[in-house]
Amino acid sequence: MDAEALEREGLAAAAAAISADAVEAVRIEFLGRKSAIKQALRDVRDRETGMTLNAVRERLETAIDERESVLARAELDARLTQERVDVTLPVGGQTRGSLHLITQIRREVEDIFLGLGYRVVDGREVETTRYNFDGLNFPAGHPARSPLATLFIDEETVLRTETSPSQIRTMEMQQPPVYMVSLGRTYRRDTPDATHSPIFHQVEGLVVDEGITLADLTGTLDLLFKKLFGEQRRSEFRTHYFPFTEPSIEAYVSCHICDGDGCPVCRHSGWIEVGGAGMVDPRLFEFVGYDPERYSGFAFGWGLERIAMLRHEFPDLRELWRNDLRFSRQF
Amino acid sequence: MRAPLSWLREYVRVDATAEEIARRLAVSSLEVDRVIEMGVEDVGDNLSYLRVGRVLSADKHPNADKLQLCQLDTGEGEPRQIVCGAWNFGVGATVAVGLPGVLLPGFPAPLDERPLRGELSRGMILAEDEIGLGSDHAGIMILPDGIEPGTPLSDVLPVHEQVLDLTPTMNRVDLLSMVGLAREVATLFDGELLPIAVDDPPALETEPVDVTVEDPLGCPRYLARVFRGVTVAPSPMWLRARLHAAGMRSISNVVDVTNYVMHVYGSPLHVFDRTKLEGGRIVVRRATAGEEIRTLDGIPRKLDTRDLLITDGEKAVALAAIMGGEDSEVTDATTEVLLEAANFEPIGIMGSSERLGLRTEGSNRWEKGVDPYQAEAAAVLASRLLVDFTGAELTGSTDIHSGLPERPVVRLRTDRTDRIVGLVVSSEEQRSILDRLGFEVSEDWDVTVPTWRARDVTREIDVIEEVARVVLPRVPRTMPLRRLVEGHLTGDQRLRRVLEDVLTGAGFSEAYTWSLVANDPDPSAIRLSDPMSGDQAILRTTLIHGLVEAARENVDAGNAGIRLFEFARVYLPSDEQLPEERWRVAGIAAGGFDAARAAVEVVYDALHLGLRVRRAQRPFLHPGKAGETDAGWLGELHPALLDGSWGVFELDVATLIGPVPERILYDDVITFPPLRQDIAVVVEEEVEAAALVDVILEAGAPELREARVFDVYRGDQVGEGRKSVAIHLSFQVPDRTLSDDDALVVRQRVVAALADRFEAELRG
Ligand SMILES: [Zn+2]
Repeated sequence: MDAEALEREGLAAAAAAISADAVEAVRIEFLGRKSAIKQALRDVRDRETGMTLNAVRERLETAIDERESVLARAELDARLTQERVDVTLPVGGQTRGSLHLITQIRREVEDIFLGLGYRVVDGREVETTRYNFDGLNFPAGHPARSPLATLFIDEETVLRTETSPSQIRTMEMQQPPVYMVSLGRTYRRDTPDATHSPIFHQVEGLVVDEGITLADLTGTLDLLFKKLFGEQRRSEFRTHYFPFTEPSIEAYVSCHICDGDGCPVCRHSGWIEVGGAGMVDPRLFEFVGYDPERYSGFAFGWGLERIAMLRHEFPDLRELWRNDLRFSRQF
Repeated sequence: MRAPLSWLREYVRVDATAEEIARRLAVSSLEVDRVIEMGVEDVGDNLSYLRVGRVLSADKHPNADKLQLCQLDTGEGEPRQIVCGAWNFGVGATVAVGLPGVLLPGFPAPLDERPLRGELSRGMILAEDEIGLGSDHAGIMILPDGIEPGTPLSDVLPVHEQVLDLTPTMNRVDLLSMVGLAREVATLFDGELLPIAVDDPPALETEPVDVTVEDPLGCPRYLARVFRGVTVAPSPMWLRARLHAAGMRSISNVVDVTNYVMHVYGSPLHVFDRTKLEGGRIVVRRATAGEEIRTLDGIPRKLDTRDLLITDGEKAVALAAIMGGEDSEVTDATTEVLLEAANFEPIGIMGSSERLGLRTEGSNRWEKGVDPYQAEAAAVLASRLLVDFTGAELTGSTDIHSGLPERPVVRLRTDRTDRIVGLVVSSEEQRSILDRLGFEVSEDWDVTVPTWRARDVTREIDVIEEVARVVLPRVPRTMPLRRLVEGHLTGDQRLRRVLEDVLTGAGFSEAYTWSLVANDPDPSAIRLSDPMSGDQAILRTTLIHGLVEAARENVDAGNAGIRLFEFARVYLPSDEQLPEERWRVAGIAAGGFDAARAAVEVVYDALHLGLRVRRAQRPFLHPGKAGETDAGWLGELHPALLDGSWGVFELDVATLIGPVPERILYDDVITFPPLRQDIAVVVEEEVEAAALVDVILEAGAPELREARVFDVYRGDQVGEGRKSVAIHLSFQVPDRTLSDDDALVVRQRVVAALADRFEAELRG
């Protein structure tokens, strides 16, 4: 027999088969018990012819197997094509929950400062006047000490008016270096409106170490602004007054809406006030028993609501207390 | 504080625009709210259309009873005809004229020539409100005689004014004065400070002035001056214009002088009609309890012993430092004036002002601590102006004080400035800054503080701040060295974040609700001494009520799939001064008990804690669907509190995370796989799943590793009052694979124990 012709014929038949059945028929015809090649192999007498025929048989087998798998895959694909779903149709699984926007910002700020080597301190919300005022160098008669500004529980106990008492508690507990931030609820006697709430949130930062300068403070705040409001933001610092810092500054960031050109958000000044800061007043060091000649430090404290409103451009901070899922799910 | 720039420039020579001054002051001195543009717009040649004119004739308009037809000399050679509606002037009056072409404030277009009732009007005779110099529209402005007609009006009056609207910080009362601002501007721009030259008028015939200060702590200085022959009249136009630009109303020459001088020196003054003072006396004392005074605004004020009064020995004549009394007020008929240039102690004034709800320009300064030295300069300038404007004579003067405060002296180390600021500022520059601010610096750096800063600057660091604020724009941005520091969250802080994440993953959104509530289940919960309202009176001891309200708001808003949690503190009463503040995590979810149970399960699972729930009761929970864990409670909200079926829970965070293992040890559950079997037992309805599981685990130990209820069946096949509980059992030991025979032995122990304890019957 002509092995070569047989192979050509078999390969052609396999290639021409267009269904699984057809491939099976080809297999029976060319490789089945009654096929020419099987007959020939049974009849072979010499080693060389046997090897040639076996090689032909193997190649035919491979070709037929391949053809079979190609066709099987094509058939599967054809069937799957019929099983299409509307991939644009939502299926309505479990809704995700969201962290409160203030929590998200709190974590962001915490993470920035954790990365800089600071620790996060949990202060108390109900404070003694000693920590809330005396230790922070609020003079007698300062308006903040008045019940018109502060919520009192009794004459010596208040709802903290800023997160700063945690500075004093932290310094009393440990020796320098101190690198800490403290975030949480604070309270003032403010009638709620679009920008005021008797309960609000502050972030407080405190650094005490050898050689800490005002330049370190402005550098740190500049970095924080860039992280919170965008790398292209610029910062400006203006003199101010707080009882617990000397010198005191107020920190401004270039407007993220108009980039300094002036717009309603920045009241056409190009700058947005973010919050107060300053070098820790030596009286605080004396209060907690640090040596003001050896150590210097800086502190800052801002409202988180203000950061949230500026960054996400919503006009009324009362939204943050309404807990309407349509609001919270946006963030 | 409003500072008109033309006024400021009278005290400081500086080459800077209003905007530049505002910008620099904002960085180094005080808050600048804005620059207000007042008066006639200074664009193009607009101001050149405003001239001084003299009235040549003024007759009734032939065709209109209410109008005058005037001819004016406006320096043009030809008389100019103008129709005018005012009648407060006559021939010879010097007036302000707007020529056609001028754009006046509030007008949509420039003025043009036009006939009025048939007579051409070629301009306008101006009233002060028409060019922004005042609010008076009763008549036109009468200017002093002797000004040449045709003179540009802007040479005579500030027809265009830029006004700085400023808010100093509370330590800088010295900036509530024009001289203080001028000093600041001179410092920042290296400008020249122009002194106010004023001659104290001589006291012609001296008479004694009877002043007694009974409370020298409340009133450390009382300087009084007496004037006779006073003629009360309107102030000159320039003064009226200045006060208007500075945001004050012109009243009369006498009162205007006190306001003007207060603005100049920052030391408030007061004037009494001396004939209304009994014996012309002044006695400064505290009020008696319940004493009353009717203040200038006509309101009777009830006082207590903390309020400081000016009296005449018989009756109260002024609420010291805050407001004068109606009875001693200067009126048009006043001829004798007692001028008060005093000094008052700030804290008491602030207290009185707060208690009485009465804040004035004066109290606003006094409560910040005015420099007692300023009283004298103020008295001198006021005397000069009273004599000049009212024709009065100074006839008596007294100055009661027991020594004025010493000026603080502070040693400055200039390198200390550099170490605090983080910028090298040469000692020459430091000296120059301090010098310009009015500090005296000796050769060896003893710094004597000026009187007007003596309250605020008492230490080296305060002097350093003076330098720092001036060089503030040059301070570089650096980062602290941060040796020996490392940042990390504490274990508790980390686990709190885990809890927040687990709950949001379970579909809960975080809510923030108020720590101050109207009611709290704990009757001993802490109350505010003076709450803002009844709704915010109590510090809460549970978060649940805030969450119920938050859920209700969401229901009302039509939101679906409501699941909320809150992570916040509660304030538990304690024996200490301060309450115990504890973190709680609480939640509310549509779906009844199962929703609460599912949330609590996921929380415990996330923390690697076993959850054990006991039946419990809470007044706000469904009585049949309430349970507690070691850390708190869970259940179905009592339907009386909110329609629908809501799962709620609240867990004390410290209790919850207390047992969380610090480190989890590997347990080989891979090498020898478990053998799993299910059993079903029939028990009485009251037998609870946890009790079954406890007994099963106890009986099956140690081979039984896990027992979990996966189905409860009730129905005919098990009979009334009974249920079939299907339990999944998992057998596993660490050193070999258990066989079915091994499991059978354990299973028999379990079944026997269940039968023994609960009379449970093995089913099927
Ligand atoms: Zn802007």
